[in-house]
Amino acid sequence: MAGIKALVGLSFSGAIGLTFLLLGCALEQYGVYWPLFVLMFYVVSPIPHFIAKRLSDDTDAASNACRELAYFFTTGIVVSAFGLPVVLARADVIYWGACGLVMAGNAVIFLTILGFFVVFGGGDDFSWEQW
Amino acid sequence: MSGFLDSIRCGDCECNVDWGEKRNTIASVAAGVLFFTGWWIIIDAAVKYPDQDNFNHAYHACGVIATVAFLMINAVSNGQVRGDSYSEGCLGQTGARVWLFIGFMLAFGSLIASMWILFGGFVVPQKAVVYPGIAVFFQNAFIFFGGLVFKFGRTEDLWQ
Repeated sequence: MAGIKALVGLSFSGAIGLTFLLLGCALEQYGVYWPLFVLMFYVVSPIPHFIAKRLSDDTDAASNACRELAYFFTTGIVVSAFGLPVVLARADVIYWGACGLVMAGNAVIFLTILGFFVVFGGGDDFSWEQW
Repeated sequence: MSGFLDSIRCGDCECNVDWGEKRNTIASVAAGVLFFTGWWIIIDAAVKYPDQDNFNHAYHACGVIATVAFLMINAVSNGQVRGDSYSEGCLGQTGARVWLFIGFMLAFGSLIASMWILFGGFVVPQKAVVYPGIAVFFQNAFIFFGGLVFKFGRTEDLWQ
């Protein structure tokens, strides 16, 4: 296990990211909660990676088509999490300031999720029996 | 407190990253960015101009066909087309070639159609709002290039 410090650091950055997202919704001058739909993208973003890891048993190959497809879909989910606030702001459903806060929150949260995979995901001792 | 910056090392990163091995990952990510950006451009145009007069809803078909073409092109591997993969697949080598041929024809066709839509549907009639036409063109251009990057940006040598 990579340690408590990494876990605490990642949870702190996750909290900061969610704070940005909620500020974009709850500040007095914004007041609408439509940006919370990006939470759906946060939850879905690790799923392609897990599916690809589960389906491909041969880890000696440098890469395989399933893993690359998972990267493709994960990138799509990340792009969509940035695209949704922009479309909402252009349609005047939310203010541009709220859009900016949501995009900052997106960046921090996705870096946190990436950090989780970098710190805790690698290694041969990752086995499905843990679950 | 004194000397607390002494242990910081600059440029000491042991970044012996093998970029050759990362090629497929980079290509997949780039293709994902292109493809999904294309779709979000058309979503934006559809949200800004929801009525039929500004943005004829039939123009969405172009992007749908481009997506189908993307899926067709990337469903067959280069190995199956060359004939040097282990299994023959459902259609065999000739079938894989025909499938890829049709896929590329649909991809080129949708790109040409998007240009036709932009010029024939928006520029020539001098419509008041041109943005939906530009959005259709960029959507199809992004999907087309995303498909090309995903197909040819990856090397199948890394799958061995």
